[in-house]
Amino acid sequence: MSFLHSVRDIFRGRAMGTAGLIWLCVILFAALAAPWIAPFDPLDIDPVNRLTEPGWPHLFGTDHYGRDTFSRCIYGARMTMLIGLGSVAFALVTGGAVGMLSAYFTRLGNFLMRGIDVLMAFPALLLALVLMTLLERSVVNTIIVIGIVYATTTARILFGMTLKLKREVFIDAAVCSGAGHGSILFRHILPNLISPLLVQASFIFAFAQLQAAALDFLGLGLPPEVPSWGNMLSESRIYVTRAPWLLLYPGLLIILSVFSMNMVGDAMRDSMDPRFKDDIAGV
Amino acid sequence: MALLEVKDLAIAVAINGRLVPVVRGISFEVEAGTTLGIVGESGCGKSLTSLAIMGLLEGSQVRITSGSIVFDGQDLLALPPERRRAVMGADMAMIFQEPMTSLNPVYRVGDQITESILQHRRISRAQARERAIELLRLVRIPDPEGRIDSFPHQLSGGMRQRVMIAMALACDPKLLIADEPTTALDVTVQARILDLMKELQAETGMAIMLISHDLGVIAETCDTVAVMYWGKIIETAPAAELFADMAHPYTRGLLASIPVTDREVDRLEAIPSRVPLIGETVTGCAFHPRCGRARPVCADIDPAAIAVSPSHSARCHFPGEDSA
Amino acid sequence: MLAYTFKRLLALVPTLLAASVLVFLFVHLIPGDPAAVLLGDSATPEDVARLSREMGLDRPIYVQYFIWLGHALQGDFGTSVFFRTPVMDVIAGGAETSILLAVLTMIWIIILGIPIGVMSATRHGSWVDQLASGGAMLFASVPTFWLGLYLILIFAVWLGWFPSSGFPSIHEEGGLLNLRYLLLPSLTLAAPNAALIIRLVRASMLDVQREDHVRTARAKGLHPARVAIKHVFRNALISVAAAFGFTFAALISEAVVTETVFSLPGVGQLVVQSILRRDYPVIQGVILVIVCLYMVINLIVDLAYAWLDPRVSLK
Repeated sequence: MSFLHSVRDIFRGRAMGTAGLIWLCVILFAALAAPWIAPFDPLDIDPVNRLTEPGWPHLFGTDHYGRDTFSRCIYGARMTMLIGLGSVAFALVTGGAVGMLSAYFTRLGNFLMRGIDVLMAFPALLLALVLMTLLERSVVNTIIVIGIVYATTTARILFGMTLKLKREVFIDAAVCSGAGHGSILFRHILPNLISPLLVQASFIFAFAQLQAAALDFLGLGLPPEVPSWGNMLSESRIYVTRAPWLLLYPGLLIILSVFSMNMVGDAMRDSMDPRFKDDIAGV
Repeated sequence: MALLEVKDLAIAVAINGRLVPVVRGISFEVEAGTTLGIVGESGCGKSLTSLAIMGLLEGSQVRITSGSIVFDGQDLLALPPERRRAVMGADMAMIFQEPMTSLNPVYRVGDQITESILQHRRISRAQARERAIELLRLVRIPDPEGRIDSFPHQLSGGMRQRVMIAMALACDPKLLIADEPTTALDVTVQARILDLMKELQAETGMAIMLISHDLGVIAETCDTVAVMYWGKIIETAPAAELFADMAHPYTRGLLASIPVTDREVDRLEAIPSRVPLIGETVTGCAFHPRCGRARPVCADIDPAAIAVSPSHSARCHFPGEDSA
Repeated sequence: MLAYTFKRLLALVPTLLAASVLVFLFVHLIPGDPAAVLLGDSATPEDVARLSREMGLDRPIYVQYFIWLGHALQGDFGTSVFFRTPVMDVIAGGAETSILLAVLTMIWIIILGIPIGVMSATRHGSWVDQLASGGAMLFASVPTFWLGLYLILIFAVWLGWFPSSGFPSIHEEGGLLNLRYLLLPSLTLAAPNAALIIRLVRASMLDVQREDHVRTARAKGLHPARVAIKHVFRNALISVAAAFGFTFAALISEAVVTETVFSLPGVGQLVVQSILRRDYPVIQGVILVIVCLYMVINLIVDLAYAWLDPRVSLK
């Protein structure tokens, strides 16, 4: 119950944040229930009905293979959630571990954080592109690559926050009372970082969507047969003059999702511990 | 006519769209060339009063709900913004509590002083700079020709407050409002800044309105004192008279809570209980829950100002009585 | 200032060396003989053998690295597999487009981002502010290529006001008028970044507005507009400058996409094309050039930051 209460406290009086949260729930529902709500198979090819305009029974029209755009959009929600949650989890776990441990064990930290500096010398999409050239196009690899990119920023942010926490009196108190490294890290430091981590997670989720869509568009993201919003845009770009609506729906879905995630992040940041507010990089 | 006449000034803060009174109708006057001290605990409304007089409430959640402020014959609240700004920083100037943050960190102190001069006087930049150096000398800053090009962070707190004073004096104000000018400073620096203000007053003949929570500071500098409690002036008198004979129990409490170092103190007296919160409703005298000599009438009826002497009044049903 | 700049430049060297190691190793991580990888599919066995010798593939890997680095420091990243010309020439060929695109984009970002951000902050809470900050958030959420495609559709295809793709050099026929080819691309690229600057300017001005020295400035009787510009905006610039490096990274990333959408012959499209063509020498070269550029930009940002804030001492 306390979880629901804190959700209520964060979003009370923040209309945009609440709207964002509701939209994300809709996307999550679409992702989970895709086989039941999609009227057609997203991969079913229908050469007779190519590039039909939005109408009945194809609500959002059909693409150049005659596949139902509406159904593909619904299945695309799965990819959105998968890529978003996957890369967020990867970035937070690896980046979080590197940042926290680096701040806590300073000698190891000097070494690790220099490594992070080197990775951050590459602009985000460029790093992702280079990594993708080494890997095969697949869902897992896309998640890993985007995860690595945002692990660097996460590491740097958590490094700063852990350093701040280390100077707090309650950590000294824990050390004095004989707590071990593990206990200090997991029972005293980590719980204080949960809420900034969640805020960071929502911003990474938003960035990851845009990054994944860009990779798909450049032909270096998900395999082309996967129905993701980015791939749909990439495939239909050459039909933009003949069937401009093909780009409209997946594009709007991406914008709405990224916008919602940013709004949720904003709402969470506003309600956050002021000590860490300046550390989080939002849009 | 007095230089500054404040009548029935009431100020409220907008909290969630509701106006909550903070200053509840206060009246006082400042005569040219004299010093008025306003004393009270934090939250009593003394700072808001000074900001209202200066004209710095605009754009905040705070509104003047009634009353008038007449300065030098002009009703300030009726002036259009442009004419109001012509008074600010010219005939009326203000210095603030935090010298560390009250100067803009990115400009040299000289530029910040000349900005004020150039705003109100039609003189050249070079002349303004001359004037700024003169002002720095006036506030006893050593090496003013060198210091004028310092950035604020290169100066100590006391020096910065001197710069603030120099800036305030830039256009020979008739009234200087000083809101807790020494609170953030070391005790020794405090005394020097207060002495400086007194000397400058003697030299320029300006009036000073000094806001402080510290009765000691007030006693040292003021001609007249007004004590504020919960948005009202509860006692006012010439300083000498007030310190000789305090009529309101709150004023006595304030004095008793100052640690005096040159005599043996057995225990530090504090005023018991707490000030009512902003927006809280209190029937009767606002001080009665904390008052040692409160009687039934105090809880029912808010006392009007009672004259203890021709120049001394207090809002208390039983002024001057000793507590039981 | 000069000594500080020099010191900071020196401090970049280790990071740059580490980045160059990554770029070097990159080719070795691709399965197959690096010489064959670098020469591409059409290479003869003789070519491969010759390049193997040149690269010192029979020698320890760190020796290979230093051979490669020695060449790279002289601007020699090898020969493009696709163009059959030196990599540096290929990169230089895209420089004009990319630099002009960056300059135009910067102009958009500044003339759109700063005034709207200032207006939003000075009218905090008004409908202007809500529209501006909501719009900024929306534009920050739009995929660059999607915006680009619709701008092409509307302004090039339907209205026919601007060309839809390509960019002839300003040295070709048409001269500076050819910049119209870059108008839509620069707007596309500017949109999300101007949105970022709007939010940044607004947020930092709102922070500064609460500071005590602003009250001092108002107490001088200054006009509100003067207070907003000379005292609030000037101080807010410090944190805007600090975040500018971040904007620039985003700009580089999005330039890659934008140049692809508008088929611009710039460095960004070169990266993507080279990756798709498996033209590894070019990939290595471009990446290293961009990393250097990005680090220099960050240094300039830091210097600007120190210049804007007298409290930061250059020691």
